[in-house]
Parts: sequence; structure tokens; C-alpha cells
Amino acid sequence: MRQEGRRRVAGNTLTFLKKHAPFDKMSADALQRFAEQAQIAFYPAGSEIVGAASGNVRFFYLIESGKVQARQAGEVTVTEYSILSLGAGESFPIGAVTAGRPSTNNYVAVEDTFCYQLPAEDFMALMVSSPEFNLFCTQYIASLLDQSRRQLQLQFAQKASEQQTLNSPLAGIGSRSPVIVGPETPLRAALEIMSQAGIGSLVVAGEDRKPVGVFTRSDLLDRVVLADRPLTAPISEAMSAARLCLDENATAYDAMLAMASQGVRHVLVTDAEGRLTGVVSERDLFSLQRVGLRQIRQSIDSAHDVEALLQSAADVRQLAFNMLAQGIGAEQLTQFISALNDALTRRVIQLNLEKHNFDGIEWAWLAFGSEGRDEQTFSTDQDNGIVFACPDGAAVDALRQRFLTFALDVNKDLDRCGFPLCKGNIMASNPQWCLTLGEWKTQFSKWIRMPEPTALLNATIFFDFRPLYGKHELADNMRRFLLEQAAASPIFLQSMARNALDVAPPLGKLRDFLTDLEPDHPGKIDLKKYGSRIFVDVARIYALATGVHNTNSVQRLRLASQRLAARGEEINAVLDGLNFIQLLRLQHQYLEGEPGSQGDNLIDPDKLNELDRRILKESFRQARKIQSRLKLDYQVN
Amino acid sequence: MFGLKGLLFKSDAPAHLPDDVRAALDAWRNTPAPTLDDFHFHTRYVIVDIASRGMNPESDQLLEIAASTVQRSTILPADALFIDLETSADNDAPADEASLDRQLMAFLQFAGKAPLVTYHVSYVGGFLQRAFRERLGVDFQPQWIDLAWLLPAMFSDKGSSVMPLDHWIGVFGLDAGSGRRSAMENTLLLARIFQMLLVRASAKEIDTAARLIDESRASTFLRRTH
Repeated sequence: MRQEGRRRVAGNTLTFLKKHAPFDKMSADALQRFAEQAQIAFYPAGSEIVGAASGNVRFFYLIESGKVQARQAGEVTVTEYSILSLGAGESFPIGAVTAGRPSTNNYVAVEDTFCYQLPAEDFMALMVSSPEFNLFCTQYIASLLDQSRRQLQLQFAQKASEQQTLNSPLAGIGSRSPVIVGPETPLRAALEIMSQAGIGSLVVAGEDRKPVGVFTRSDLLDRVVLADRPLTAPISEAMSAARLCLDENATAYDAMLAMASQGVRHVLVTDAEGRLTGVVSERDLFSLQRVGLRQIRQSIDSAHDVEALLQSAADVRQLAFNMLAQGIGAEQLTQFISALNDALTRRVIQLNLEKHNFDGIEWAWLAFGSEGRDEQTFSTDQDNGIVFACPDGAAVDALRQRFLTFALDVNKDLDRCGFPLCKGNIMASNPQWCLTLGEWKTQFSKWIRMPEPTALLNATIFFDFRPLYGKHELADNMRRFLLEQAAASPIFLQSMARNALDVAPPLGKLRDFLTDLEPDHPGKIDLKKYGSRIFVDVARIYALATGVHNTNSVQRLRLASQRLAARGEEINAVLDGLNFIQLLRLQHQYLEGEPGSQGDNLIDPDKLNELDRRILKESFRQARKIQSRLKLDYQVN
Repeated sequence: MFGLKGLLFKSDAPAHLPDDVRAALDAWRNTPAPTLDDFHFHTRYVIVDIASRGMNPESDQLLEIAASTVQRSTILPADALFIDLETSADNDAPADEASLDRQLMAFLQFAGKAPLVTYHVSYVGGFLQRAFRERLGVDFQPQWIDLAWLLPAMFSDKGSSVMPLDHWIGVFGLDAGSGRRSAMENTLLLARIFQMLLVRASAKEIDTAARLIDESRASTFLRRTH
């Protein structure tokens, strides 16, 4: 009766299995075994099913109903996707359960989900007994890698020559001088070497440099400590046999496939004679694929000198490009570039402060323009300044001189890191923009009281300031002052509005777009001048008028529209327009810019696809819409 | 109360019972009831459904019993039972009386004294009670959890009155196949619904079997009388 019970439960499961590959091709015998072993579990929406932290995977999961999201855990990734959605009939984590290791992904039920879970040992037995199932699992792992490789090739086709890819030979990847010990080396000596070198593993090789084994920290636990092995024993007793050796000419992709299918984290690289020439770790391979946010942050924060920051600056660009290729939106992307650039700038400032001492003095480094608005694109030059407080009026010039020397060093270092010096000399090393709090206030109120053209131009740059380093209170003080003055000067705001309306979006009466506005670039549209700047200028005026402290245009428009009680969907359409234009700029700068050069903002609308053309047209319409609103509000004719 | 139940259980073992069944029955009576104060995760719930000829427990014939369990929040295929009362346990021959008794006894052994979960206790419990009374002389009064009444109480957002099981199957988006369902198919659907219910119940701090049984009784009582 119990047998009959089990048979009928299994029968129920079989009905499901037969509808899904690869089970529909498996023998009745194998299927029956699967169905009789598979437990049925329920995972409510939001719960984690299995994760990187749950240790070696105990089950093979097959989704019966619901939806599961796989997210990469940490930096270590096996595939190019960062988030993957799985539905009924799909199974996971095949690589991990095959290799008997923890999952590299976190699997979370995003809907109420039922899973069949086959215990790992039954899964392995099935792999042995069912050729169809075996093929499915092996191919699955290979197909993920293949998919990843194809994506990679696609995304990086234009830049392939510049960087290593998964097609690079192993000879150029990973550690070229791995630490080697002989098989007779006593454990104690080997451990001392590991400790001194600060490494987690070493290779055991004979005098001919042919590897015989690998010793890792986990071997230390399992094969030395827990096995009660004396430290005088030779390392050959405690090492794992060298399982995975690949020729130097094998590709990174081969190494990745081998690691994934055999569940190891290191591949030994050998030359034609079988002699060890290097070690490639999982991490080495992933760094080919991904430049991680956290890694960049860490390397920026721990950089000892500007040379070290140069690489980080390049990484920021690379990561931004990867994100662009993955379809991250412009708002997030520009803010993200700004955040990393901020970190980079701060580190440059910190490094220079080692040579310049301003202890006891209140000061702050300010960013202006697009950097001040968190809207940096790939080609952004420096716009910065300094505000400081001088307790003793007489000493101002001497102190300014010290700040100028310091600022010059910082400006030069930033230039080396890829932020070109400002052509208009809007930099902290310019005495005009290295001012005390009082001087800044005087400057601001002068511009506001006498809004002549230069003053208005300056307002569009300097009123978008943001403190990057030092005493933020000084900048807050400047901001309060600015907002009070601006709100109390309707004539200034009206002048700003008139100025902002000087340029109209390039929408044609007969044609879609006007492409002859720039005499030097016929057929092209300057997306900054006739696109994003329109939004940015309008955002600034409304922010000043309504007392919005933020400098970012999207935030300014959102907050100001709340204060002006504009309709939510209206402002969202405007923001979508701005974001689309920004995205086009970013794509254009990266994909079409010459490597190493400053990208421009000139696009040829005829080269856009039909969909993008239509969205761009709509985006310009949104620009025109907010301009009309500005015209009405400030009575500009 | 338990003393009284014990007395009732002992009272009238019918004379026709084969010796092995009689011994098994004694053993079953002596098994301690599981503690109901532990979390759902540690409790073994037995999900049960039946097939019958007609709907009247007092006069119609019980045909099949299908049971599975939910323990550690999962359904284990190995822990399931199916009884076809029309054929004997050993072969496909029509059941004789002794084999009928053995089959019913097998259910008692499978269930132990675990809480029982079903849809409409009045129907399922009614048939089981009569069978156990008539065949084994057992006054079968397990701790019932009645999903028919408990589901509207726990998932009032999805349905607030007692409804046909198919309604809940639809609400939860379960695949019930097409056509008439067997008792075992029903049991497995109930088991899945019960897994979902355990999550909901725990969120409402009804986190032990005892509390869930109380809740089931309360929902049955409240809805019947108000």
C-alpha cells in the first residue's frame, strides 16, 4: 500500500516531467527514479531557495510553477548575465550540484513557487544512469558559457582588439610566477612559504617543473588539521593531485569550461613539455569579463599614487561601457560615473594633501557644471573650485596662494587620470575660482544683481556646484545664500529664462529634424546644445525659483514640479525625454568616439533606427513643452 | 478527556479481527501522540482524501484512501499511502474481510497519531469514522485540520466563504490537469495548498500544529454558527 502510494505520487510528478525537456526524452526507468525521489517544496515569493552562503548544494531544483530569479553573488561569475529569470520546467543550479560546490548564484523565488527537489546523491546517480540527462546537464553548462562568449563577442566586437577576451590564450593570463615547492617539502616549510607570500595555494612540482599536485588552504583543514597529520610530513601526502592542466595555447574559455565542469577553481598552465608556466584562477578569468564596481572602489580607495589611479580611471570607463552595453538607463549610468569619478577625485585630493597641509582651516573642493550636477558623460573636462574660510582677514592672500599651489597639483593629476584641464580655466588653480566664502557670496550676488551675458553664462556653470571634499557646510552655506538671493530677484530669473530660450529644440516644420544648425557639421545635431542643455537650463531656473537644493537636473525637475504642483505623468514624460537624449549621447560617445579621444555630441539622425528616431523626436517635443511652460511662467516673448 | 478516549478505544474490539490486526491495533493505541507544540517545520502532517460511492458517510461505500505527508515543509514521495478497498492488498482479487481490516489498519499505522488534513472533514472524516468503527471497533477522532473552512479564514483576500476545492486550485494557480481527479491527485493538490497555508499561518503567528488545529476548529465553528 505504501509502495502503491509512492508509485501514485511519482505518477503525478511524471505527468509534469513528461511535458518538459530533457525529461521527455529520458527512459521510463530513469524518469520513474527521478519521480520517486523528488520532493515537492513550496517557496513563497521573496524567499531564497538556495544561495552562495548555503554551503554545498544539496538538491537539484526543477521549477514546477512560479518564477525564480538567479542573481550573481559577489564578483565571481560564471556567466555574462547578472540576473536571470527561470520559470516552470527550468532547473538549477546545475553547475554547482554537478561539481558538489556552493552555488555562485542566489536563487530567490520572485513569485510563489513550487519546486521538485532531487537530493544531490540521486542527481549524481541519475547523471550516471541516464545518458540523456547527463548530456542535458553537460550541454547546459557548455551552453551557458557559449552564450556568454557570444554575448561578449557581440558587445565588444568593436573593442575586441583592445582587450583580452575569453579567446585569449592562457599564456597571457593569470599568475606567471606561481609559487612552487617540491613534493618532499615538509608541510611546515610549505605553510611558512604560503604565509609569508600571503597566498592561499601553491603548486607542488618536481625538479622538472612538471606539476604533481596542488595544495590549498582547504587542504590544510581537511588533510592536515582534521587528519592529524604532523607538520613534518611531506606535502605530497596532503596535496590534491594535479587534476587540471591545460596547455598555454588553450583559451581562457577552455579554462572556464574546465573549471565549471570539474568544479575546481584553478587551472595549471603548462608548456608543450608539460612544465608548469603559470596558474589561472577563476578570478583571473572573471576579471577578463567584468570590471566589478566593488573592485574599482577598492582599488581607488587604496591607491598609493596617481599611477595606481590611472588604471582605475580606465576601469571606470570600461565598467560604464559594460553597463551601457547591458542597457542600464542614462540617469543611473551618469550618476554612477559621477560617483566613481567623485571617489577618484577625492583620492587624488587626499594624495595631494600629504604634501599640502591645511590643518585647522575650513575649506572644501567644489565641482561645477556637469560634474556638479552628477551628469558626467564619458567626455567631461574639469570644472572645479575651492571655497575656504579665513579667520584672519589679512592672511587671505597668503592662504589663497597655498590653496592655488595645492589645486594646481590636483588639477594636473586629474588631467593625467583622464579629466582634461578646462579650456575655459574653470579650475581651482585659477585665483578667480579659489575664493573665501565671503568672496563667493559677493560674486554670486553680483551675477544676480547684474545679469549681463557673462554673468548669466557663469550662473549656468557655477550655480550647479557640489562639494566633493572637505567641509560641506561651507557649500551648504553658499547654497542657502544663493537660493535666497535668486528667489528674491525675479529679474535675474527672467533673464535666465530668456537666455535658456535662446536655443530651441531642432524640430523642423517640414522635416523631422533640423540638421543645419551647426554650419561646421551639416547633417548633424548637437545633442548637448540642442538637447540636454535645454532641460538642464530649465531645471536650474525652476530649482532656483522654488528653493530646490539639488543640482541634478532630473531631481531638480522632479522636486520643482512637486512644488509647482505639476502633473506626475507630465514630468515623467519630460524626464524620459531627457534620459533618452543622455543615453544617446553616452552611446554615441563610447561606440563612435575614437579610442582615447574626447567624444562629441554630434549625431546624424538619419543613422538612427526608426524607433530611436521617433523617440528622439518625442524627446525634443518634451524639450519644447517645458520651454513653452518657462516662457509662460516668466513672461518671455 | 484523553482518558475517556483511551477507554473508548479499548472498549469494543470486534471479535472478527485477525490476530495480527488486533496486535497492530494495540500497538497503535499505545503509540504516544506526537507533541503538537512544535513548529510546523518539525510536525508531520498527514494529508488525506478518499473516494466513495455516493456522499453519505452512513450509508455509502468507501472505495479508496489516498494519503501523503507534509513534513519539513516538503512532500516526500516515499511517505505516501494508497488503499483500494475494493481489491485485496496482496493481489487484485476482491477484498475479503480480513484484508479489508488489514488495509484499514495500514492507514492507522501510516497516520500514527499525526494531525490529519483534508477538505471537508464532515465528508472524509465521516467515511473514515464509520469504516474504523464498523471494521476495527475504533472511535476514530484524530486532530483534524479542515482546509474547506480554514482556507477562507487564512486567505480571506482570495475567497471568504466555503467554496469548492476547484476554486482554491484556480486561485492558487495550481495545475490540476483536466477531467476527473483521482483521490491521490486530490491529496497532492491539497498537500501543495497546505504547504502554502503553512507559510501564511506562520506569518500570522499560528506557528504550531496545536494553534493550527485550534484555528481550524474556530473557523469551522465560527462559520457554521454565525
